[in-house]
Amino acid sequence: MRIRGLIVCLIFVMLPAEAPAQGQRARSILFLDQSDLRGPFYYEIFRAFRQRIAADAQSHVTIYSESLDLSRFGGAAHEQSLREYLREKYRDRPIGVIVAIGTATLELVLRWRDELWPGLPVVFGLIDDNDLARMKTQPNITGGTVSLRVADAIRAARAVVPHLNGIVFVGDDWSRQVVFGHWREEIRTAAAGLQVTEFIGLPMDELRQKVEKLPDRTAIIYSAVYSDEEGGFYPPAVSLKFISKVANRPIVVAAETFLESGGIGGFVLQPEAIGIDAAVRAIRIIGGEAVSHIPIAPTNAVKPIFNWLQMERWNVGASDLPDGSEIRFREPGLWQQYRWQSALAVTVLLMQAGLISVLLHERRRRSDAEQDARRRLSELAHVHRQSIAGELSSSIAHELNQPLGSILTNAETAEFILEQPNPDLRELKDILADIRHDDLRASQIIGHMRSLLKRTPFELKDVDLNDVMREAFELMSAQAATRNVALYLNTAPGVLPVNGDSIQLQQVILNLLFNAMDAMTEIPFGRTIIGKTEIDGGKAVISISDSGPGLPAENPNGIFDPFFTTKEQGMGIGLSIARTIVQAHKGRIWAENQPEGGATFSISLPLLPR
Amino acid sequence: MPGTVHIVDDDASFRTALERRMRKAGYEVATYASAQQLLDRMPAESGPACILLDVKIPGLSGPDLQQRLAELGSTLPIIFVTGYADVRATVKAIKAGAEDVLTKPIMSEQLLPAVERALAHHQTSRGLKARLDELRARLARLTPRETQVFELVVQGRINKQIAQQLGATERTIKAHRHRVMEKMGVDSLAELVSMAERLDVLRRLSAGNGKAD
Repeated sequence: MRIRGLIVCLIFVMLPAEAPAQGQRARSILFLDQSDLRGPFYYEIFRAFRQRIAADAQSHVTIYSESLDLSRFGGAAHEQSLREYLREKYRDRPIGVIVAIGTATLELVLRWRDELWPGLPVVFGLIDDNDLARMKTQPNITGGTVSLRVADAIRAARAVVPHLNGIVFVGDDWSRQVVFGHWREEIRTAAAGLQVTEFIGLPMDELRQKVEKLPDRTAIIYSAVYSDEEGGFYPPAVSLKFISKVANRPIVVAAETFLESGGIGGFVLQPEAIGIDAAVRAIRIIGGEAVSHIPIAPTNAVKPIFNWLQMERWNVGASDLPDGSEIRFREPGLWQQYRWQSALAVTVLLMQAGLISVLLHERRRRSDAEQDARRRLSELAHVHRQSIAGELSSSIAHELNQPLGSILTNAETAEFILEQPNPDLRELKDILADIRHDDLRASQIIGHMRSLLKRTPFELKDVDLNDVMREAFELMSAQAATRNVALYLNTAPGVLPVNGDSIQLQQVILNLLFNAMDAMTEIPFGRTIIGKTEIDGGKAVISISDSGPGLPAENPNGIFDPFFTTKEQGMGIGLSIARTIVQAHKGRIWAENQPEGGATFSISLPLLPR
Repeated sequence: MPGTVHIVDDDASFRTALERRMRKAGYEVATYASAQQLLDRMPAESGPACILLDVKIPGLSGPDLQQRLAELGSTLPIIFVTGYADVRATVKAIKAGAEDVLTKPIMSEQLLPAVERALAHHQTSRGLKARLDELRARLARLTPRETQVFELVVQGRINKQIAQQLGATERTIKAHRHRVMEKMGVDSLAELVSMAERLDVLRRLSAGNGKAD
C-alpha cells in the first residue's frame, strides 16, 4: 500500500517536467474567473464554455473551475492566499490550459504563471481591448477581446430617451469595477455636451432615493453595483432589480444578463459568446495546436439588445433603436410562435366547436321533436278518445238513463208514500238509499266519460292495470249489450302495478274492445269478448280475445300500421295510436289468431315492484 | 183494475224501483232479470196481467221475447221500455203487437195509465179468447157431415142446394142443420153466421174456394 502510494507520488513529481512538450498536453483545463460564479453573467460564460468543450472535444476534458471573487475581495493578502490555495490545490493535477476570464483574473494569472504553471498556455476572455493594450504581453497567450465603450452606452441612452441632455452613471466605485472600470476615463470625451451625474459608490438606500427623482430627458447608465456600501453584497443583476423598481428613468445596461433585471438594454456583453470563444481556443490548444497559431482577436460579444417590456414602459419604439438591435421579451403572439400548431389547434377547436354546436342543435331538435311527438300523440290520442267517446255516447246515454230512470221512479214512489195517511218510513229510507246509490252510479258514468274527453298531457303514474281494465270493460258494458256481445273479464288476483297513464291505457283497451265488436258484426250469434290480465315474468299482460273471423293471414301485425283498416268508415289510426301509446309505456302490443278461431290482442307492460 | 205486472229488466236497481212503484199502485209484481227467465217461468194468464219489458236486455232481446210469446199463444200485452226513442225499434215493436212503448226515464203519469190500459186490454182479450175457445169446442163437437152442412149454411146455401151438393135428401139436410144449430147453441141463421165469422171459418173457406176455382 505504502509502496504503491510512493510510486504514484513519483509519477506526479515527474509530470511537470513533461508537461511543456507539445502535442501531449494534459486534457484538463483550469477555468478561472473573477466572480463568485453565482451571478448569472459569469455563470453563463462558464456554462457556454463547458458546453462547448463537451461538444467539441474529441475525448473527455476535465474542467476545474475557480471563482476568484475579485470584485468583492482584493489586496495583496487576498492575492497571496489565492495563490497559495491554488498552488496547493492543483499541485498534483496536471493542467493543460489556463483559462482566465476578466481583466483582473488575467492580471493575476500572468503574475502567477511562472511560479504556478510555468510555460502553460493561457486563454483569456472578457478583456477589454484597451485593458489588454495596457498590459505587458507575454508569450503563450491567446484570447478574445471585447470592446465595451461608454460611447455605445450613451448612444443607446440617446436612442431610448429623445432629446437626451443628461446621463446618470450608477455603479460601484470605478476602481472596484472589474468589467466597466475603464469607463471612468472614457466618460469625459464620450459624454461631451451632456450633463453627467455619477451615483457611484453610493449606499443602496441613498441610491434608490436618488434615482426616484431624476429630471426628464435623462437616462441612467448602469455599470454594476455589487455592494450596498454598508457591508452587503449582491450580484449586480439583483442590485439592478432594486434600482429599476424605483428609478423614474430608463436604465441603459451593458450586459445581457441585466436585461431581465430591469435594464432597457443597450450594447450588451453576451457571456455566451465569451465562453464559446474561450472554449474554442482552449480545445485547439489541447488538441496540440501551437498557441502562436491562434491569434488574439476581438470576440464578437457586444450587441445592441433591448428589453421590449421596458421599451413599452418608457414608450420606446423599435424604430428608435440603433440599427441591428435585437428586441427581447417581446411576447410573440401565439400565432407568430407556433404558427401551424396554432392553426391546427384553432382548426381543431373550431371543428370541435362546430361539431358540438351541431350536436347540441341536433339534440335540441331531437328533444323538440320528441316533445312535439309527445304533444301530437297526446292530441291525436285525445282526438281518438273523442271519437271513442262519440261511439260510446249513445250507450252511455242509455246507461245514464238507467240510474236516472230508477231515481225518477223511486222519487215518485216516495211522493206517493208520503201522500198516504201513514207513510212507511222504513220504505222511504230504503228508497232514499237506492236514490243515492243510483245518483253515485250516474256521476261515475259521467266521470268516466269526462276523463275520456279530457285533454290531458301524457303523464306516467303508478296505476293498477286491473283497475284500468275493469273500468274500460264497465264503460263498454252497455255498448256490448246493445250490440249483443257477451263481455267477460278475468283479472289476475291482487293488483297489477304498472307505470302508466291510465286514461291512455284505457283508451287502448276501449279501442281493442271496439275493434273486437266491430269484427263480430257479421257473426249471427255467440258474439263473445274475453278479457284477461295476468303476470308473466316481470310483465303485466292484458289480452282481449274475440270470437270474430280473426286477423288477415298475411302480415297480421300490419294492422298496427297507420291507415290500415278493414272497416268501411275506419280511419285506420286506432291501432297505430294504440301501439304508439303502448310503446310510450315501454310496452309491447301484438295480435295473433287463436287456434279455435277469433283474434287475441295482447299488451305487455313492465310490472312495477310491489 | 187489479192485476199482475211482469217486469223484465237486467238493471236490478231499475227493477226494484219499478217493482216498488207497481206494488204501491196496487199490482201484483213478478220480476225477471232476463227474457229467458220469463219464458222459463211462463206466467199464467188466470188474471189480467201485462209485461214491462226493457228492449235492450242482454241475451234474448225484447222483440224476440215478444215473438216467442206470440208463438206460445200468450195474449199477455207487452209494454216496451226503451232507453232512448229509437224509431225503428219502436215501429218494429208496435207492428209485432206491442201494447205501448215508453221511454226511460218513465213518469208515473205515463206508466200507470199504460199499465192500466194493458191490463184492461188483456182482460178483454182474455174474455174474447175464452169465448172463442168455447166456440171452437162446440165446433169440434160437430160430426164431419154436420161440419159440411155448417160451412155451406153459413155461406148462404139453401137446403135444396146443400142436399144436391152433398147427394142427400132435403129432409136429411134439414135434420143436420137442426143439430148444428143445437150443438152450436144458436137460434137463428144470423147468429150462426156471426159465429162462423168469429171462428174465421168464412175467410178460410173463401180462401179454399178461391184455390179450388
